[in-house]
Amino acid sequence: MSVKNKRSLLIACCLLLVGGLIYFLSWHDAFLYHQDIAEVTQVTPLSSHKTQDEFKNSDQTHRQEVHLRLLNGKHADKKVTVKNTWSNSGAFDQNFSAGQQVFVDLQKSAHGLTGQISGFKRDTYLLLLCWLVIALLFLTMKFAGLKALFSVIINFCVFIFFVNLDVSLNLNNFFWLFVLSALIFTALSLAIVIGWNKQCVVTFASITAGTALALGIGVLVLKATSSSLHYESLDFATQAPKQLFLSATVIGLLGAVMDAATDIVSTIFELKRAQPQLSVKQLSLSGLSVGRAILGPLVNVLLLIFFAETVPLAVLFFRTGNSIAYTFDWTMTLGVVQSLISGIGIALVIPAASVLAAWSLKKEG
Amino acid sequence: METIGILAAILGLLMVLIAGKQGFMAFFSVVINFCLLFITILLLSSGFPPLATALFSAICILAITIYMGNTDEQTSNTAFLATICVMLVMLCLIIPFDHLAQVQGFANEQSEEIEAFNLLIGVSFEQILVATTLLSTLGAIAEAAIAIASGLKEVIEENKQINRAALFRSGRNIGFQIMGMTFNTLFFGMFGGNLALFILLNKLHNSFSYYLNSKIFVAECLLVLYSAIAVILVILFTTWLMGRKLPAKKES
Repeated sequence: MSVKNKRSLLIACCLLLVGGLIYFLSWHDAFLYHQDIAEVTQVTPLSSHKTQDEFKNSDQTHRQEVHLRLLNGKHADKKVTVKNTWSNSGAFDQNFSAGQQVFVDLQKSAHGLTGQISGFKRDTYLLLLCWLVIALLFLTMKFAGLKALFSVIINFCVFIFFVNLDVSLNLNNFFWLFVLSALIFTALSLAIVIGWNKQCVVTFASITAGTALALGIGVLVLKATSSSLHYESLDFATQAPKQLFLSATVIGLLGAVMDAATDIVSTIFELKRAQPQLSVKQLSLSGLSVGRAILGPLVNVLLLIFFAETVPLAVLFFRTGNSIAYTFDWTMTLGVVQSLISGIGIALVIPAASVLAAWSLKKEG
Repeated sequence: METIGILAAILGLLMVLIAGKQGFMAFFSVVINFCLLFITILLLSSGFPPLATALFSAICILAITIYMGNTDEQTSNTAFLATICVMLVMLCLIIPFDHLAQVQGFANEQSEEIEAFNLLIGVSFEQILVATTLLSTLGAIAEAAIAIASGLKEVIEENKQINRAALFRSGRNIGFQIMGMTFNTLFFGMFGGNLALFILLNKLHNSFSYYLNSKIFVAECLLVLYSAIAVILVILFTTWLMGRKLPAKKES
């Protein structure tokens, strides 16, 4: 076995060890929580009965007695028994089984401790999956892979900061706040991936141009047909829904637009380096041909991401006797509009990036 | 409806103007995928087994996205094979993990939205979750597979004598660029899609422990993490498939 193989084996073992450690620690981290956490020790089924609603949907609900052992706080190691109801479909409830960890709300009564299960402990699984992503990145790309992750983490921090800022400032025109955040995201990501140079500036300019134009078109169309959209169907809206919708669109399309613009601009810069005699027209044409190949797949990525989010709600609408048109209107229209504006953004950034990159190289020569 | 019609027309027009025939095919593939997804939802709602339905439409979506967007048959075949393999691997990861994490259905934050409904509708939301998770990763892996397959084909054509190890090195270089950008697409897609949710969560809860355990937040994170894993796997698979045909050592 060569030295290189031995080293990768060692790295793989280390990563596995870290994974095991994360699993062990997050499984035994109850002492870090303020809420009461308990482990399910035993579950006794009580009764089940069949249900049928007016749309002939048959389901089954089950009652169970869940025996818990508390893991933290001043009641640690005490035992509590709670009741739980769950259904086969499990839209808003869940079946508990021995070994799971849950959050409980405890009450003291004459008979001792009672309580209800208030939530499920999911941190172990979330952290394990994060670990899996990092381990895979490290195994395949070494430290370069972690750079991609670094960019995402920084952007997430900026994103959370702006969400915080939005909540605490409570502006009327908070849309511009998120536009500002979008500009910062773009600048940060490009600076991390490309480095701070002319290529980065050109990419930034083309992304801004493409996105602004797409958004302009989107806003104009929305203005012209304002009556047909149900902004109130926007999930979780706690601020002016129309602005929230536009802000979400700007941030959502940024990644895909960045993807297209970076590909095109870096190809054109690379071409110019290899063959300095190429004209502006030739350069922009090669940029366009790069863009053509990625246009379709990129629009599809966004479409699929958006669709996945709507499925449970749409199924619920359909199963409870709503028509196709009504369901579409209330669960999908906003998402489709958002995907379409993103698609327009991706399409527009292709000529913007091709022309801007080619033109910027002409001035240099 | 009117808004969607006008915007779709603008998108179609722009795609044809910018990319000609290829743009038309791309727009067409987006429309077909949309119809397929819609039909999938209808089938899921009428009680078809979620996993089988999702697998079937997933294969259709992959075939459409890969073969309609791309003209070179060899790279398309490689990309298609790689995405199917990765999809099957992902299924082995998604099914147990979704069961363990219990993020199916609706969360407390959505209770207002669903309070008018009777939730005992006789479909397994856990299986629907697996189905939709699978579908949501497809776009990203199809895009990455096409990009790396065509990138590596260029490399092979430029240097016909290239050996397997050198191709794997190029695969890593190209793969890194693709991955960085695909991660951005995924994460910004998620930030944008969940902006309203993030604002709401920020108003309601501020504890770190809430974020690590809440059904809706964990569900969204898992979705992005699955896609990220799938993208890394598809880059590895595609590179391996492209390299398989090359000699292991350079002939001299």
